[in-house]
Amino acid sequence: MSTGNREKQPLTITARPTPNAAPARLNVRKSVDSLTAQELADFRRAVERVLALNDKRGFEYFAGWHGVPLGWCQHHDPLFLPWHRAYLYWLELALQSEVPGVTLPWWDWSKDATIPSAYSSAQADGSQNVLAKAPINVFNTERKSGWPTETSRAPGRAPQVPGPPYQQEWAYAMKATNYTDFSQRIWSVHDTLHVWVGGTMGQVDWAAYDPLFFAHHANIDRAWRIWQAAHPGANPPASILDVSLQTDPAIKVQATLEVHQLGYEYAGTQSTVPGSA
Amino acid sequence: MQRWTSQAIAVPPRSNWQRADLEFEGVEHDGPSFVIHVFLNHPDADEATPRTAEQRYAGYLTVFAHGDCWGDVGHCDIPEPVSPFDQRPSHPLEPFDATLEITEALQALPDDAGEITVTVLAFNQTDDADGVLRFKQLTLLTYA
Repeated sequence: MSTGNREKQPLTITARPTPNAAPARLNVRKSVDSLTAQELADFRRAVERVLALNDKRGFEYFAGWHGVPLGWCQHHDPLFLPWHRAYLYWLELALQSEVPGVTLPWWDWSKDATIPSAYSSAQADGSQNVLAKAPINVFNTERKSGWPTETSRAPGRAPQVPGPPYQQEWAYAMKATNYTDFSQRIWSVHDTLHVWVGGTMGQVDWAAYDPLFFAHHANIDRAWRIWQAAHPGANPPASILDVSLQTDPAIKVQATLEVHQLGYEYAGTQSTVPGSA
Repeated sequence: MQRWTSQAIAVPPRSNWQRADLEFEGVEHDGPSFVIHVFLNHPDADEATPRTAEQRYAGYLTVFAHGDCWGDVGHCDIPEPVSPFDQRPSHPLEPFDATLEITEALQALPDDAGEITVTVLAFNQTDDADGVLRFKQLTLLTYA
């Protein structure tokens, strides 16, 4: 057996999209720091393309789900994690429609003290970095006085807000033994990161216009995935499992619980899925 | 900075609980985002007070809030259901309950006091002296 050949194979894990379907390869989300140059360029290209679309396939439409103008997001309640998982799922599909195979990278602020350079450098590959700043053009809505015209950040300038890395906060969340405690603890550090970044990222109504929002939330979703793997069956309260989350299209909470059924996995997460045999 | 100190809150004997949470009930989040830092039995705490166990610091909470109202008149008013069949989702600005676990900070206090006060220092970008943290009531929850 040639181990050399095996090492050259990309890691592939599969799941069945529906119970009777053939196993299909899952997309793997990665840390932004571990993306290859090509993967990062592909991701930027996907973001650039959806930013250019002024219809329901476009970034501005998705950004509007969270705050202005639609305000569908769920915070500070048990729907926080399912809603944002669904949100990332639908956006990632839109990105993949433009550049097949791209996935949302995560920003691990439990270890990083600053915004990753992939999202903070003004230039990338000789052009403006679309991950650093984005225009704010509210979908199908006339601009009002006082609205920001582009995203902004002011990391560390919100008074008295602790900055990353949030290693202790992450560890505290991971020690939770039930969904409610985990959800509250992870949304707490989620809030802190938003407010620490500041600017439009520090306001619910505008935060999702910043591409950094999705790297932050990929890390929140990754935290939930890791915690789920360690706590099988520790689901949200039964009373919300049939709730239809306000996204386009709507999706029930129950359908967000298994990331494999949504077609993705996080690199580095320990888990086992049925093989293809 | 806004400083708020609670009335005395009864604390059960330590042998009766293993975990303690402060629950800020009905927190409003329709203004700028903010952070609160919480001290126990330290009504004079201010922004220069070290956030250490010796100073009876209990922890912090940050609230990612909505900022200014951007809609038309009434957009940010929380409506009542118009009928018993109203299944619309709750308004995004409905107040919520924020929990801060204070087990270690409370265990570090003398066991015979029987009550505590909670002092909150609240900060936002506008450096308001009041109105940063608005909430309905504070509850100390302990768990056996």
